[in-house]
Amino acid sequence: MRSVKSLATAAEAGRHQREWFADLRRRVADGEPFALLNADVPHEIFRTMDIPYAVSQWWASLVAAKQRSGHYLELVRQRGYPDYSEQYNAVTLGSAFDPEPEAGPWGGLPKPDIIVGDATGDVTRKVFDIWGHEPGVTFYPLESAAENEVPVNWWELMPHRWEQAVGPARLDLLTAELENLVRFLETTTGRRFSESRFREVMALVNEQEEWNRKTRDLIARTRPAPLGVVDSIPSVMLPQWHRGTEWARDIAKRFYEEVRERVDTGQAACPDERARLMWIGRGLWYDMGFYQRFQDEYGAVFVWSMYLAIAADGYIRYGDDPMRALAARFAAFTDQLYTPPWSSEWYVKEARLHGIDGVVHLVSDDPRGSYFTARALEAAGFPVIEIHADNVDARTFGDEVVERVGRWLENVVLA
Amino acid sequence: MPTALAALEEAYARRAAPRPPASPASSEGLAGTRTPVVGYVGADMPVELLTAAGVSAFRLTGDPESGSALGDRYLGRGVDPMARSVLTRLLDGAFGDLDHVVVSHDCEASLRLFYALRELRRVEPGTRLPEVYLVDILHLPHRTTARYNRRRIGEFAARLEAWTGRPLDLAGAVAAHDERRRLLAAVAELRRAVPARLTGRQFLAVADPGLPVDEHIALLERLLAEAGRLEEHTGRRVFLSGSDHDTPHVYEAVESEGYVIVGEDHSFGGPQPDRPVGAGGLDALAEHYHHSGPTAHRATAGERAAHAARAVRQCRAEVFVAYSRIADEAPAWDFPAQRAALDVPAVLLERQEYGRADLTALRKEHPCAV
Ligand code: SF4
Repeated sequence: MRSVKSLATAAEAGRHQREWFADLRRRVADGEPFALLNADVPHEIFRTMDIPYAVSQWWASLVAAKQRSGHYLELVRQRGYPDYSEQYNAVTLGSAFDPEPEAGPWGGLPKPDIIVGDATGDVTRKVFDIWGHEPGVTFYPLESAAENEVPVNWWELMPHRWEQAVGPARLDLLTAELENLVRFLETTTGRRFSESRFREVMALVNEQEEWNRKTRDLIARTRPAPLGVVDSIPSVMLPQWHRGTEWARDIAKRFYEEVRERVDTGQAACPDERARLMWIGRGLWYDMGFYQRFQDEYGAVFVWSMYLAIAADGYIRYGDDPMRALAARFAAFTDQLYTPPWSSEWYVKEARLHGIDGVVHLVSDDPRGSYFTARALEAAGFPVIEIHADNVDARTFGDEVVERVGRWLENVVLA
Repeated sequence: MPTALAALEEAYARRAAPRPPASPASSEGLAGTRTPVVGYVGADMPVELLTAAGVSAFRLTGDPESGSALGDRYLGRGVDPMARSVLTRLLDGAFGDLDHVVVSHDCEASLRLFYALRELRRVEPGTRLPEVYLVDILHLPHRTTARYNRRRIGEFAARLEAWTGRPLDLAGAVAAHDERRRLLAAVAELRRAVPARLTGRQFLAVADPGLPVDEHIALLERLLAEAGRLEEHTGRRVFLSGSDHDTPHVYEAVESEGYVIVGEDHSFGGPQPDRPVGAGGLDALAEHYHHSGPTAHRATAGERAAHAARAVRQCRAEVFVAYSRIADEAPAWDFPAQRAALDVPAVLLERQEYGRADLTALRKEHPCAV
């Protein structure tokens, strides 16, 4: 029996998100510039300059949650583009082609003036560049650079010794690209960039992620788990899209306090917890019920997803040069999650920290280092089951997945 | 003596196979050690540096016939099967004794291959893979990227000097590769002639026989001298765009139906709008590779479309075929803009299997060619 209803912070984050979006639509209607940003680009610059922005992946997850991704992918297909490629960004591109944009979720995504995305993979830059050819839209791409040799223990190095973790070549490149981005935004929007405001924003982000770190550590050491990932994801991710605001810092603190209170009063996601599960991969946005399904029947609780953990380990950057520290936050961001040895060693570290009994690994077709993740976890003694699906394209999710996971719980994890 | 074309085709058939041990005279470097053998991956490899270092270097290719279970396992099936095949062959020892593998970041698949090799060496030393090195050349058309590339080119040059223990002969190497570019452009004209004097399949062999650059130059010179003896190929003229073709399978499938491929825009084919590097050392080399392409994986759809329109005119193609391999999706994103920019029929073959071409869509477009 599920004893936990959604957290108050999750509910408040949801309410704030709707109000924020309505306000954003008003500001854009009043003629303010609007930026659409990929998740891995430095939002902090837009925050500092008070340029309204939305995050491409957040929009795609909302569309998927409304079961509307098929509609937007169809619009992409009608223009002759593939509907089976880079769906996470293609769904959002589809909203640019929508003849009735206001029929979209929450009144629809306003038409952006500026798009910023990084050139990860072969297709991301193309998708945003195609969007950049719509009238009135400018695309500002950022490079996605790679490094030959990296120290394995990035999570220990990143807060203060990020220069050593990321390497000077990538940091010099992204720092220069960001300086140019500021100039571009000053020129095209007429807004000013204030260095003291920038320092405030950077400090607020570190504070917010420090609260997330405390929350992660608390959940990791508490048995039974005070909450599962369905509750933690909105409480951490919605504030994440508001990084650098006092609201986001404060709600991260309240999220911690709420979890603390659950721990102190002995509340649990599943009081009869028999197994602690780790979810590796993006959120299954079109079926968030997936995560709770196994609690009732097996006492198996998803206590870990990357969202809280990457907030805890992946964002904090201290240092005297805020632009270089910001570059250090993003110059190797995806490597933390997807590139061995960084990703694989980090998942093992997190599995140990959380006392994980089994790992469910969502493997989508996009080319990430999944073998090495599973290998490292299994070598460290954690059973892994892989499920294959795209996280925003419900058409790829097979009916048999739930049954397979159930059999694996019975035969492997709980056996 | 076989014709130059026959010699090039024969070398192409043997390329990237294990080499016989070099003779002692040629295998001894100045430091008294074996000449390092380097396998490389990717279109962005500054091959001039490999030549300048005096290493024995060749581009690694896959094989659609020989299975890719290990590559599938380590890279996952979301990665271009060409890279999965290269990894499988590396693990099988199909390339012989390599001292180093050098990878460029020309596409996501190459980068994933680099990461997999690096990690396999770390966690599964029993695989006995050679040392792997990444040359991270990037392509946004900005000065920030140019500076980054110059730094990476400099690091790679220094690494090569460390491997061989001697300084690079960059000027000589650049001159040799520029000469090869000039000759290849002249050979490309033979194929662009009407009727074409080389098939696309033949051109693949001519462009990339896997020979040292001086041997390649000598054969290209002979080929041009023998041009009068080349056959005429009158098939319907196709420009092939999209995914890389590291083997002739797709060319053979298309040309077996009466087409002749007179131009392409992938990195195993003819020269792109490819300027000489010229003098200028590492700066010029960095700029050259910064601007190389436009390849499907790194250029925008607009750049690709403009290039397609120019190239189709230049080689008087009658049909434009965009080929997008499964898990290599960039070409499919380019296609709508390419079709709009062209005044010849354009066909997209999408989600194609490695080494295969499902020509149903092409046949529908041009029933008379069958
Ligand atoms: S089918 Fe018609 S248009 Fe197409 S090639 Fe044949 S004759 Fe020309």
